[in-house]
Amino acid sequence: MEQFKSKFIEEALDLIQDLEKSSLELSADPMNKKHIEVIFRAMHSLKGGSAMFGFNKIDAFTHQLEAAYDMVRAGKLMVSDELIDLTFKSIDHIKVLLSDDDNLSQNSLRNHDFLLNEIRQIINIEKKNSDTPTTSNNSASDAPLAPEKPKHYYIQFIPKPDIFKNGTNPILIVNELACMGTAKVYTFTSEIPELEKLNVLTCYTHWVILLSTLSTIDEIRDVFIFVDLDCELVIKEIEVLDSLKNGQLFQMLDNSFSNGEKLELEGIEKWVQETSKQNQSGNELAAADSTYKKTEQSISSIRVSSDKLDELINLVSELVTRQAGLSLISESINNKDLITIAEDIEKISRRLRDNTFGIRLIPVENMVTRFQRLVRELSHELNKDIAFQTEGTETELDKSIIEGLIDPLMHIIRNSIDHGIETTEERKKSGKAAKGKILLKAFYSGANVYIQVSDDGKGIDTRSVFKHALKKGLVKEDVELSEKELLNLIFLPGFTTAENITKVSGRGVGMDVVKRKISDLRGEVSLQTKKNEGTTITIKLPLTLSIIDGLLVKINHVFYVIPLASVSKCFEFKHDQLINAVNNLIFINDGHIPFAYLRKEFNIETVSPEIEQVVVIEYGDTRFGLAVDEVIGEYQAVLKSLGRMFTSQDVISGATILGDGTVALVMDPAKIISQFTYISEEVLN
Amino acid sequence: MAKTILIVDDSESIREVVNFTLEKEGYNVLVGVDGSDAQKHLNGTKIDLIITDLHMPVMDGIEFIKAVRVNEIYKMIPILFLTTESQNEKKMEAKEAGATGWIIKPFLPAKLIAAIQKVMI
Repeated sequence: MEQFKSKFIEEALDLIQDLEKSSLELSADPMNKKHIEVIFRAMHSLKGGSAMFGFNKIDAFTHQLEAAYDMVRAGKLMVSDELIDLTFKSIDHIKVLLSDDDNLSQNSLRNHDFLLNEIRQIINIEKKNSDTPTTSNNSASDAPLAPEKPKHYYIQFIPKPDIFKNGTNPILIVNELACMGTAKVYTFTSEIPELEKLNVLTCYTHWVILLSTLSTIDEIRDVFIFVDLDCELVIKEIEVLDSLKNGQLFQMLDNSFSNGEKLELEGIEKWVQETSKQNQSGNELAAADSTYKKTEQSISSIRVSSDKLDELINLVSELVTRQAGLSLISESINNKDLITIAEDIEKISRRLRDNTFGIRLIPVENMVTRFQRLVRELSHELNKDIAFQTEGTETELDKSIIEGLIDPLMHIIRNSIDHGIETTEERKKSGKAAKGKILLKAFYSGANVYIQVSDDGKGIDTRSVFKHALKKGLVKEDVELSEKELLNLIFLPGFTTAENITKVSGRGVGMDVVKRKISDLRGEVSLQTKKNEGTTITIKLPLTLSIIDGLLVKINHVFYVIPLASVSKCFEFKHDQLINAVNNLIFINDGHIPFAYLRKEFNIETVSPEIEQVVVIEYGDTRFGLAVDEVIGEYQAVLKSLGRMFTSQDVISGATILGDGTVALVMDPAKIISQFTYISEEVLN
Repeated sequence: MAKTILIVDDSESIREVVNFTLEKEGYNVLVGVDGSDAQKHLNGTKIDLIITDLHMPVMDGIEFIKAVRVNEIYKMIPILFLTTESQNEKKMEAKEAGATGWIIKPFLPAKLIAAIQKVMI
C-alpha cells in the first residue's frame, strides 16, 4: 500500500483544490447543483481513498462532510454561510491531516474534534426535523455467537428467471455455500424446457442445499448478498437432535429427490420432528443412563455375514438386468399402463441398487479424526505449525478398503509433516505463510475414488532422490531418467528418503510398503511434487460397484457402455472432420481436445456413418474425446467380468447384458486415456 | 487463459492499487478513467469482469453499467461497482442498472479478490 500512498496524497491535493474552487463558487451561487455535485464527489473520493491508504482521521472526517453534502444534494439541507465557512475550515484541516494523520499536535486534535462536532450538529438539526426516530432493534448484542458445534441449515435458493441479466452465475453461489462446510446439494432441473423452447437468458434451475457448518446464519446470508432481491431464499436452521443420525435425513431426502419431490422446508421439519421423537422414545425406553445410550446408538447397526450381502447384491444385479428387458418390451408393446409400471420399476430398482450397494460403504470421515490427532501431536513434537484440512470426507468407500487405507495414509501424512512442511522460520524465509497446510481430499472420478494428501511444503528434490538411489545401488549412474521416473524411485524397496533418519517417519517403513498395501487394495499411488510448493500424493482406488450408470453407445452394430460418471458432454461431428483432424485434435467449445477415433483403434473397417458423435470424457484433469457412431442413451449396466481369456486387454473393463440379451462392452475411461494418448505421443515422436 | 478485468475509476491511486492487486493475481487488466473513456474497450475485446466506480465525471458508473448491459457482447458479464457503506440507495440503483455486486471501500486486496471470485469462475 505504501507505494500508492504518495500517489493518493497528490490526488487528494488536486481534489482539495477542486473543493476550494467549487466551495467559493457555491458561496456566490448557493443554488447551483453542479457545484454541490462536484463537492460531494470530491468528498466521496477523498473518503474512499483515505480509508484505503490508512488516513483514518480523514476518512472519519470526510464521512461526516459527505453526509452533510448528501443532504444538501437531496434538498434536506440549505446551503448557508455557516456551512460554507465550515467547509473551508474543514478543507484546511484535511490538508493538515494529509501531511500527518497519525501524529497530530494538540491544537490540531482539538480543532479536529471541534470541527467534527460542528458538522454533526448541522446534520443532526436537520435529521431531527425530518427523520423518524430509528429504533435500534438490531443491537450488536443480539448477534448470535459463533457456535462451536456445526449447525445444520436448510437453504432453498430459487433464482428469479432473469438473474443472468445482472451477470450473476448462481452456480458460484452454490459453490461458495458448499465451501462453508459439509453440504448436500440438490439441483432441480425439471423446469428446463426442451431445446426449441429454451431461452438461454433464463434461469430454470433451483437448488436445495443442506449445509452443516460452523458459520452463523448471517454468514450464510452474506453469501447471497448480491442476489437477495433476485431470488427467493429460505434459510432455516434444522434442529437435528443428537439421537438423529444425519445419514437418515440424507437418505430420506435422496429418496424424495429421486421421486421428483420438491424438498420443501415444512416437510423436512416435520420429518425431523417425527423421527427424532421416535428415536427419543426409543432411547427413553432403553435407559436414561448416558453410557447405555452410547451402546444403544451402536446397536442401531446389525452384523450381517458378507455372504448374505453378496447374495443380495447378486439378486439386485439380476433384477436390474431383467428390468432392462421389461422396459424394452413395454416400449415395443406401447401400452401406457405397462410403460408406467416399467418406469416405476426402473426407478425402484435404481433405488434398491443404490441402497444395497450403500450397505457396505462408510464415509472417509470415519478415519479423519485419527489423522487430525496425528497432525496435532506430531507437529507439536517437531515444533511446526500445521493446519490439517479435509475436503470431500463424505465420499464413501467399502469398509474393508477404508480399514486397509489407514496405515498407508498415516505414513504419508507423517512424511508430509516430517519431510514436507518446513519449520516456521524456513517458511518465512521462502516467503510462505507461517502456517503449513496438509490437505486430505477425497473425491469420486469415473469408476474410482481418489484420496489425495497434499502439503504446501518444500517439495521433493529429484536430484537428491537420484543420489540416494545411487547410494543404495538402486540405479546405475549412467541411466537417464525423466522427472517422473526419478520420483518413482521413491517407491522402490530399500529406499529411504530422510537424509538423517528422524524418529518420526524414518523408521524403516518406506513408500514401497505404502505402495504394496495400496496395490493389495487394487489401488494405485502416484506422486506429484513441485520444488518449494509442495507434494501431492494421490491414491486411486476402484469403486467396488458391480452396477454402474453408463452411457450406451454404438460402433458398427456393437454396443459399448461408457461409465456415466466420467462422461462430460456429447458432440456431433461430420465424418470428414474427424478423419481429417490434425494431430487427433478437435475443436470443442472452448478449446482443442485430443480424441480417439474408436473405429480406427478397434480396427473396424466397415463404412462409417456420415454424422458421428464424440463423447467427451473427463478423467482427473484430462479431457478426452471418443468418437463413436451413435449415442443411444443412459443405461444401468450390471458388470460382468470378461473371463480369463481377455485379461491381457485393457480398455474394456467388463461386459453387460442389454434388455434384449445383446452383450455390450464396458469401457474403462482411465485406461482408454492412458493407452490412446500414449499412442498419439508416440506418433508425434 | 488469463481472465481480463476492466477497471473504471477516476481516481488514479485506486486504479493503481486495483491494477497492481489484479495483475499480481494473474489477471489481465484494462483501465478506463470514467464511463465514457471505458467504452473504448467495449469493442469486442474479451472482457470477463468489469469493476467500476460509481461517482465519476463525464459518465458516471450507473450510466456506464447501463451502456454495458445494452451491448449484446457484454450483456451477461459480471459487473462489480465500488461503493462506500453509506450509499444504500446507490446500491439499489446500480443493481437496477444491471450490476452484479459491489465492493465496499475501503477494501484490502484479499477482499477485492474474494469479491471477484464470488462472481467469476
